[in-house]
Amino acid sequence: MSTASPEVYNYTVVRQFAIATVVWGVVGMLVGVLIAAQLVWPALNFDTPWLTFGRLRPLHTNAVIFAFGGSALFATSYYVVQRTCHVPLALGPLASFTFWGWNLVIVLAAVTLPLGITTTKEYAELEWPIDILITVVWVCYAVVFFATILKRRVRHIYVANWFFGAFIVTVAILHVFNSLALPVTLGKSYSVYAGVQDAMVQWWYGHNAVGFFLTAGFLGIMYYFIPKQANRPVYSYRLSVVHFWSLIFTYIWAGPHHLHYTALPDWAQSLGMVFSLLLLAPSWGGMINGIMTLSGAWHKLRTDPILKFLIVSVSFYGMSTFEGPMMSIKTVNALSHYTDWTIGHVHSGALGWVGMVSMGALYYLFPRLYGQKIYSVRLIDLHFWMATIGIVLYITSMWISGIMQGLMWRAVNEDGTLIYSFIETVEAMHPYYLVRFLGGLIYLGGMLLMAYNVFMTIRGGRAVEAPVPAPAH
Amino acid sequence: MKISLIMRLLRHPSAGWEAVRAEALSVRDCYARYVVPLALIAPVASFIGTSMVGWRVGGGDVVRLTTDSALRISVLTFFAMLAVVYILARTIHWMARTYDSDRSLPECFCLAAFTAVPLFLVGITMLYPMPWFVYFLGLPALGYSVALLYTGVPVMMGVNKEQGFLFSSAILALGLVSLVGLIAVTVSFWGLGAGPAFRT
Repeated sequence: MSTASPEVYNYTVVRQFAIATVVWGVVGMLVGVLIAAQLVWPALNFDTPWLTFGRLRPLHTNAVIFAFGGSALFATSYYVVQRTCHVPLALGPLASFTFWGWNLVIVLAAVTLPLGITTTKEYAELEWPIDILITVVWVCYAVVFFATILKRRVRHIYVANWFFGAFIVTVAILHVFNSLALPVTLGKSYSVYAGVQDAMVQWWYGHNAVGFFLTAGFLGIMYYFIPKQANRPVYSYRLSVVHFWSLIFTYIWAGPHHLHYTALPDWAQSLGMVFSLLLLAPSWGGMINGIMTLSGAWHKLRTDPILKFLIVSVSFYGMSTFEGPMMSIKTVNALSHYTDWTIGHVHSGALGWVGMVSMGALYYLFPRLYGQKIYSVRLIDLHFWMATIGIVLYITSMWISGIMQGLMWRAVNEDGTLIYSFIETVEAMHPYYLVRFLGGLIYLGGMLLMAYNVFMTIRGGRAVEAPVPAPAH
Repeated sequence: MKISLIMRLLRHPSAGWEAVRAEALSVRDCYARYVVPLALIAPVASFIGTSMVGWRVGGGDVVRLTTDSALRISVLTFFAMLAVVYILARTIHWMARTYDSDRSLPECFCLAAFTAVPLFLVGITMLYPMPWFVYFLGLPALGYSVALLYTGVPVMMGVNKEQGFLFSSAILALGLVSLVGLIAVTVSFWGLGAGPAFRT
């Protein structure tokens, strides 16, 4: 390549999404801490409708999953697909559109959800006009991603791109089919499905939002950033391919475990449980691959706190993918369902796995995107410990309160009447809600440190124009 | 059982671990002299606490377990603790080579057993089984166990500090998994009818 102006990677859109990840992370977690505080001190909703738990909880979940997690996925997938294909991102303006379009979706969510405009479908609360916008943005994302793969200069498609690709395609299908609805007005629509079918489609979507959005996509991050940061090849490439196919085959069936002991036919519940249990194998295959890749990089640990984020994230991935199948067992679910145990489980995945792996990837990315060493390595280390302590407080408190709730809800007197009224169980949760709030606050504090660290790094740096190297083969 | 050894470990973890290693306990001695007596604390305390003292939730009456139920649960808890130490020790040994450790099974058992010392000891809180009381004292004990793990792995497994960090993290993940497994098994038993029987 001896042309006058060598090709450069499109880092602009990666930078935009990387910054958006930090900003939306702070916002989403702040809302989370606020609603955790409301559960401890209910007066914190100030008797204002749009500040109540019911309105803010979907705002929290949408902000952390789609705004924080989504931006992290856009940033990393755009970065990884260019670097591993040895070509600049295809269709630059369209990639830019996905950034502005996605952020418009987030802003619309932040306005409509507090106003109470909602479909009531968990993790799919946004009304139909926003759903259409999401679809348009997502299809453009798919076009950019796969067009980049098509014009790649290396024959092989690296395994991280398989995970990203599966995540993009599956999320498109899930979103479109779950959101099919008959609009009544601009802010109100009715699902095209009725009764238990609606519930089943919803949890087919809901569980695969976890499986593909929060797992497959982030496994793409794991398979690129762990080998990069450890400076070692993936422990077993064969295992990563087996991991990929078994994971995507199994996950899609696991949704019914959200509907144990409901009107859903019993066989469908059992099917969901069996596939959830099977899911342990591919999940742990991936965990072993991540841990074994990292285990050879021990000599870098002294100077590299990013590796700690990655190790702990994979450990939490292993823990929560073990916990999930356990909770899908019907006898366990009979106690755990609708309790705080579920909330704890979700957060060990969300804070531990998704959060930590994203933070690791971001700390890797920012110096490379801005040609500047990270402002403070010590702050990264501090962030790591705050995040870890926050998670531990969160999970342990939710275990205790969840199991207590489960036991209290089903405790009956000899004549079959309930021993505890609902409000008595709420009262008993108070100390654990306080600990959960503290855990969340510490985790948010770590995120604020990150925002400061990133801000100072960017301020001292400049936007890097990285030339595309010729492929090695 | 040497109380001084346990005190030393709790007060000066690094030196304590060296002392534990110097004892060169066999698997049998480790179990007979330390694991079994220490693992008795929680079941005995919880038998007394849950059947005689009882607890309250919210503003309700004092809840106790029937003697039968408390006895059954205490015995099961005792064996579950022995089993978890065994499983952890075995998996530590199984993982040792990955982390460049050549230590044999007894060291792995001692590592698992002595790491759990704060958790064994905090079982005494079950004498007063108010859930929040047990939780708030249990949490620091858990933290102390984790700290012991991270200081203990380099000493007991003969690896350097950085490898020790990775090894400890893997053990910690396994510990959490065992904990979750234990909760799930317990809850399944409850679901299958072997639940606790309350009396008010």
